[in-house]
Amino acid sequence: MITPELKEEVYNCIKCGLCLTPCPVYKQLLFEGASPRGKVQLIKKILEGKLEATERFHQLLFTCLLCETCTVNCPSGLKVDRLMKAMRAEVLEKFGLPWQKKMLFHLLTGDRLLPFFLFWGRAFQTPVRKLLPKKGKVGTIPYAKFPPLNKKSLRDQYPEVIRVDKPKGRVLYFTGCATNYLFESTGRAVIDVLTRLGIEVIIPKGQMCCGLPVFLAGARQMALKNIQKNLELFNRDDVDAILVDCATCGAALKKEYAHILEEMGENTEAAEKLGKKVLDVSQYLAKFDLGKHLKPITGRVTYHDPCHLLRSQGVKEEPRALLKKIPGLQFVEMAGADVCCGGGGTFQWEHPDVSTGITGNKVKAIKDTGADLVASGCPGCRLQIFGNLGEEPVQVVHPVELVAKALN
Amino acid sequence: MVKPEILEKFTSILGPERVKTTKEDLLTYSYDAFIAEYAPEAVIFPKTTPEVAEIMKIASANRVFVTPRGSGSGLSAAALAKEGGVMMCFTMMNRILEINTANRYAVVEPGVIISEFQKELDKFNLFYPPDPGSATVATMGGAVMMNAGGMRGVKYGVTRDYLLGLEIVLPSGAVMNTGGVNAKDVTGYDLTRLLCGSEGTLALATKIIVRLLPKPKTKRTLQAIYNRIDDAGNTVAKIIEAGIIPATLELMDNQIVKALEDFMHLGFPLDAEAVLLIDVDGEPETVEKQAVLIAEFCKSQGARDVRVSQSEKENEQIWVARRSAFGAVARLRPNCLVEDATVPVSKLTEAIKKVIEVSKRNRVQIAVVAHAGDGNLHPLVLFDQRDKEELKRVDKAIDEIVDYALSVGGTLSGEHGIGIAKSKYLTRQLSPTALEMMRAVKKTFDPQGILNPGSFLESAA
Repeated sequence: MITPELKEEVYNCIKCGLCLTPCPVYKQLLFEGASPRGKVQLIKKILEGKLEATERFHQLLFTCLLCETCTVNCPSGLKVDRLMKAMRAEVLEKFGLPWQKKMLFHLLTGDRLLPFFLFWGRAFQTPVRKLLPKKGKVGTIPYAKFPPLNKKSLRDQYPEVIRVDKPKGRVLYFTGCATNYLFESTGRAVIDVLTRLGIEVIIPKGQMCCGLPVFLAGARQMALKNIQKNLELFNRDDVDAILVDCATCGAALKKEYAHILEEMGENTEAAEKLGKKVLDVSQYLAKFDLGKHLKPITGRVTYHDPCHLLRSQGVKEEPRALLKKIPGLQFVEMAGADVCCGGGGTFQWEHPDVSTGITGNKVKAIKDTGADLVASGCPGCRLQIFGNLGEEPVQVVHPVELVAKALN
Repeated sequence: MVKPEILEKFTSILGPERVKTTKEDLLTYSYDAFIAEYAPEAVIFPKTTPEVAEIMKIASANRVFVTPRGSGSGLSAAALAKEGGVMMCFTMMNRILEINTANRYAVVEPGVIISEFQKELDKFNLFYPPDPGSATVATMGGAVMMNAGGMRGVKYGVTRDYLLGLEIVLPSGAVMNTGGVNAKDVTGYDLTRLLCGSEGTLALATKIIVRLLPKPKTKRTLQAIYNRIDDAGNTVAKIIEAGIIPATLELMDNQIVKALEDFMHLGFPLDAEAVLLIDVDGEPETVEKQAVLIAEFCKSQGARDVRVSQSEKENEQIWVARRSAFGAVARLRPNCLVEDATVPVSKLTEAIKKVIEVSKRNRVQIAVVAHAGDGNLHPLVLFDQRDKEELKRVDKAIDEIVDYALSVGGTLSGEHGIGIAKSKYLTRQLSPTALEMMRAVKKTFDPQGILNPGSFLESAA
């Protein structure tokens, strides 16, 4: 349901066009339907009953990264992204989901994710991976550029409560699917750093996918169980904070849950309470005097701002500050660090041409810095950037992985 | 109606991706930043001059209406397909073809975004001054066709003052050049300047040659804060009279300041009745001296405080804010008409007073910004389009502002153009003879009347 307040938003678009050139998708396609202003116009017509939600509209609605650049650039403060997200939910019934998404979301919201992972995790370490066509790609990312799945899920590698002597604090850790199944190095780094600082880390059992890929595709009902389960597990008063290492999960937990529940007419109290306690791991670490623990490491690092961290959560300085604290590591800012990498979850697979153009600019900016490391706290950006770096000898890592390296 | 076989021909020239005809695509080309909507029957995106020429040959042979458009940031509906037909959108024809440092000119295609062109020039230490508020959106082609002005007008002039030459496609499909790369050129009529500001009614610009300046070495931005808007207005007139030429001299009233502060949180003074934003640029020593001089000057005219920016980043943020003024007022009311009447600068304070009086009497909310140094007022008339009774009052208020401006020797529009926004007032400023001449010019270029039909000349009362 689109709330009356959200409906009124369309009348606040004065059509100044300041959202056009900052929009990475418009910059590639250069026609108005791809722009935020164009989409707001179409949504307005639909809400006024002057236009049907057609196939073309549906197509344009999904020709969007949901990077939120338009929202932060809109002088009149239009919540463009919320409008689009709500509209995606609105047209779901009419257009359904493509089968690939249906399958993926089924996995993310059901209880078959772990068995699925256990099967394919093994298969992918073995000759199956080699059987894949060398030049094959998922969207813009070559098969060969996908990391192998974790041999064991991160959550199975640790006890539920990771105890430390005389704990100085206690946090809940939301691992997210990517860290749990794909980037165990991030999870290990987070746990290493926290325990070194004397923090007790609890990884609640039974946590589910944050659900963001599911509800941003419009399938809110499908994601409801995930949201409710996570709210139930993570709303605890006996911890200092709920930590997230993934920008996307953080955006979901911090603000999207409350928005969606509100728009679905559900109670938002728990979501709002949780939102206030969720921190990106870089925000939490900012409170500590890490300097005295860190040993020099070598390398030249640049930082990419994930949309879900910078624009959704307003986190900009903390990850950079972490990197700058590491002795020996050279930090260099890339041009357009705050521009979306072009991944956008399933966007890069649905619109590989647009995505290639956007990511191409990002890769160029990275090359121009001469860095051999890109740090970014989002597994989606990590896949997208690394997947498009070609033969460049550049690694993409989570900032905390570099901190962990300097701690050891 | 544009016949399907015509669209097929266009498609065979441009390919299906560059001919859009779905209802959704047409609706997204039905507006600019004015309040009227007219959907075209097709939108086409040429990338080369031969493509434009080919299309115009077909259009003229079949009397198909063609309306050119850039980014659609115009404020007068000049680039809307008011009589239907095809919209020719130049956003995909967007290459910078040449930056000539030896002779300080550049050649660009019409779809190049002004601020992106300026950014590119930065690398060569060169400078293209015209700086409309919408520079980050607007195209060079749009700027030429509307003779866009902007914030640096007071020192550097407007688009016209930098335009050296054009490659154009006539409605017949013939390709022609006007002007050239030379700094001086008096060979024949100055068709370049005739085309500049012609609102896309005479020909389509496919290449644009502009002259460039060396980039000023340094810049300072001053904010002069006033308790009384009259004092701010008087300061402007006095600065100009005193022969001081700042690079920009902008005035914002309290309503604008509040809306911008709400958006950007830059610490603008919320209790001030008006703020002047003043840029000085040039050699460092001169700039330092001028900044002090202007600051003292403002204080002597009643400014309660003058703040000088401390860094390039701060300069930039202030100007991002100023550029957002039009968009930001949507925080106050859903719709905004930007009045654009311009008066001799000595009348500025009086004109502002008049606007405030008109606003109160007609019970219409009007926020005032102005490219003050040019006497170019931008009263932002705020309303809700859905309220028909309010619309009538808005109409009346604008009518009175126009009459006032003309009565003191001003002009209908300083820089936004006539389009359909102001065509009904055209006869108040232009004599029948002048209009007749203009119509004859139009006929010479476009005898069939297929280019941007329904524009200012036809819709003039």
